[in-house]
Amino acid sequence: MSSVFRLIARRTVQAIPLIFIVITINFAIIHMAPGDPTYILLGEAATKEYVEAMRARFGLDKPLYLRYFIYVSNVIQGDLGYSLLRAQFVSSLIVERLPATLLLIFTAMCISVLVGIFLGVTASKRPYSLRDNLATGVALFGVSTPTFWLGQMLLIALAIYAGVFPASGLVTLRIELAGLDYVLDVLHHLVLPAITLAAFHLAFITRLTRASMLEVLGQDFIITARSKGLDERAVTYRHGLRNALLPVTTYVGLSIGLLFAGAILTESVFGWPGMGTLLFDSLRLRDYPVLMGVFIFVSVMVIVSNLIVDILYGVLDPRIRSR
Amino acid sequence: MAQEKPATTERREGKRNSVVSRVGRFWRQYRKNRAAMVGLFLLVGVCVVALAAPIITWHPPLKSAVGGAFVPPTAGYPFGTDDLGRDIYSNVIFGARTSLMVGLLAAGMSALIGIFVGATSGYYGGKIDDLLMRTCEVFLVLPTFLLALIIVAVFGTSMNNIILAIAIVSWPRTARLLRAEFLSIKEREFVEAARVLGSKPLDIMFSEILPNAIFPVIVNASLEVATAILTEAGLSFLGAGDPSVPSWGIMLNNAQNYLRVAWWMAAFPGAVLFLTCLSLNLVGDGLNDYFNPRLKER
Repeated sequence: MSSVFRLIARRTVQAIPLIFIVITINFAIIHMAPGDPTYILLGEAATKEYVEAMRARFGLDKPLYLRYFIYVSNVIQGDLGYSLLRAQFVSSLIVERLPATLLLIFTAMCISVLVGIFLGVTASKRPYSLRDNLATGVALFGVSTPTFWLGQMLLIALAIYAGVFPASGLVTLRIELAGLDYVLDVLHHLVLPAITLAAFHLAFITRLTRASMLEVLGQDFIITARSKGLDERAVTYRHGLRNALLPVTTYVGLSIGLLFAGAILTESVFGWPGMGTLLFDSLRLRDYPVLMGVFIFVSVMVIVSNLIVDILYGVLDPRIRSR
Repeated sequence: MAQEKPATTERREGKRNSVVSRVGRFWRQYRKNRAAMVGLFLLVGVCVVALAAPIITWHPPLKSAVGGAFVPPTAGYPFGTDDLGRDIYSNVIFGARTSLMVGLLAAGMSALIGIFVGATSGYYGGKIDDLLMRTCEVFLVLPTFLLALIIVAVFGTSMNNIILAIAIVSWPRTARLLRAEFLSIKEREFVEAARVLGSKPLDIMFSEILPNAIFPVIVNASLEVATAILTEAGLSFLGAGDPSVPSWGIMLNNAQNYLRVAWWMAAFPGAVLFLTCLSLNLVGDGLNDYFNPRLKER
């Protein structure tokens, strides 16, 4: 067990420089931007007095390295800046919007992993059969369709014309719902955004699972399992899939960043009140502090989730621990 | 210099390995791949449309009030008109120019940076390799779409900035691929021979190793073009597009406000964007089948 703890410690130490690099990139962008950095920090709505106050607070009259230390210590203490346009701290804006985004991302990930693995396994059973061609076809369309356009098309077809699903938002407004009704209402709103966000990853996981299954199923131990007289189901799932899942796990771990990017686009289409719409609105209003804050926050989330995946790997596969 | 080279394996094959015969061999094999051929036809189609844009359209793009607002698809306006009475068909056709330009320039620039970094890293190894690969890792971990979005939002939504931002966040994939190729090829005899004969490191890197290591980069490049096109569309959709040129992403951003009244504003630009990416993915898969035959059975 101690080797696992050592692994956790080592990986955590490795993740810290990454977080500093993110903060540094942000600092660099703010200071390399055309015009005064306060403009980026405060947005266009800043009054003259406020700019002066902020210049003092961020120490903009001080040398660059001092400014950098002030900035880093602010960010580490959770101070991501203040949005004048919304009269709110960036960090509290983010925390407010986080649950909706996490719900969307988590649902989409579950859909794409479950359906993707199922399609991939089905396709790999008989390569170039009708089923395989159907699954690979779906996968090809999935990886080529722009997320936001898929969302718009689903919205037009299923929400506006068919009226099966609500067009936007997280819950039905102006109706007080409680308990189970509330949950069902949220789920009803969740269907289209989740499918939209899941499509690309579902397709990618299908392709990955199919390729990986075909490789594993060609190996000697599968032939051994078959000649031992195991039935096909056991060979496919217990021997084949279990070994074929490693690339899929890697992909799931590394796709958190992609999922956030996809969530921004998806939320903007469906008016899903998460960090994506926050970013979309902030971009429209040129509310720079929010943009920069969201970037730092999402980056840290991605770094932390990669860290967790890395550690899980080490726990699951002892061979990786020493690396 | 090239004449003095000893008869290595690559040399001795002489004529059989000339560029023309290599292309011929490639084409005979590629032709048999039906999906890849469909992709190639689609891609050529998009390119022809982009080149012939002024000939096959009859309304100037970006110009308001060439028709009424929200005219549904009709003979005069095959894809309808938008809220300002702009012809969507013209904008979609001219938008192909923008998308292809962004795709090619961003992927090209990203490939150049990636090749330079990957070659240096793989050839020299050691501390340089460590530093460069760590940098790559940072980019591979970070949410790069978001980074590109912020760069464009802060530095201005011009075409140059968009292309630069996409190139800046996408080169590490190429660098890693090429580095891996370099690591295995630099141990081969013909490289050793060139070194013994006193070739300079830059010569060895770019005229000895690179020609033998470039194929994975080429396969990857076709996918990078698709990614760049999608990224530009995504940035534009979120409002970080260059409004001075016709762009599918900006059209989709505008369409978002009128989904209830004008489905055609979203349907056509998106469909063409989809077809372009589909064609690039099909061609990429086809190239992959040829250059990595081991994966073909998969």
